[in-house]
Amino acid sequence: MAADANNLSEWVETFTSDLYSWALHKVSDPELAKDLVQDTFLAAAEKIEGFRGDSNPKTWLFSILNHKIIDFYRKRVKQPVRMENQVFSTFFDEEGSWKFAQRPGEWNEDESNLLDDVDFKAVLNRCLDDLPEKWNTCVQLKYLMNKNGDEICQELDITPTNFWQIVHRAKLQLRNCVKENWFEN
Amino acid sequence: MKKLMNKLLLSCLRATELIEKKLHFKLSVREKLQLRMHKMMCNACSNYEKQSVLIDKGISVIQEREISIDDIEQLKQTIAKKISDTK
Repeated sequence: MAADANNLSEWVETFTSDLYSWALHKVSDPELAKDLVQDTFLAAAEKIEGFRGDSNPKTWLFSILNHKIIDFYRKRVKQPVRMENQVFSTFFDEEGSWKFAQRPGEWNEDESNLLDDVDFKAVLNRCLDDLPEKWNTCVQLKYLMNKNGDEICQELDITPTNFWQIVHRAKLQLRNCVKENWFEN
Repeated sequence: MKKLMNKLLLSCLRATELIEKKLHFKLSVREKLQLRMHKMMCNACSNYEKQSVLIDKGISVIQEREISIDDIEQLKQTIAKKISDTK
């Protein structure tokens, strides 16, 4: 038995909350997560004739959503970002040694306290938001996708070298931002 | 002299690159060895690694976000409307 539009509006009522939580967890951007859930239902509306009544609608909707999330990551990591080398010249001299003023010193803070500290997390979040979108996504992908580097690269169709070089630049900048806004404040 | 050292023991630029690589991929034996030697000689990069790992842990714990019920209700309405519009 094929499902129809009545089923669909029932599903909007029943599953929106779960789909949204999942999407938000995966993209950590509320507006974007809403768009993805909306697109999921619109795609479901188009394909509803093909949905077999004996499968689980929740599984079906989640698989549509997950495709959309991966598509989003893929587009994000393919975004061109300019001025990439400027990061290096900020921190390193021509020979690749730390510039004197940029040498990382000790951060005398207890790690576990820090990771529970709401203010610290807020600083980290702000610093993440300051990164170019692509870099921001790349440093978070491991946790967003819950996968290791090889799997991430395979799924998003980028080369490992490309990927860790983005992460390298992003982390240099991120560490510096956290240092300036937390440890020197 | 410095060039030779860099070649043997990595530059800080390259060492920090391997530190980031290590958080996502397995390093080769050679890379592991080079990185370990570099860190023995370089406090700055040792500090960098600790801090980078700390930030990575930070990233893993900041992801939970509050979800408001109003938001969900509004989203349901928007979606329902969109679906009926396209029919």
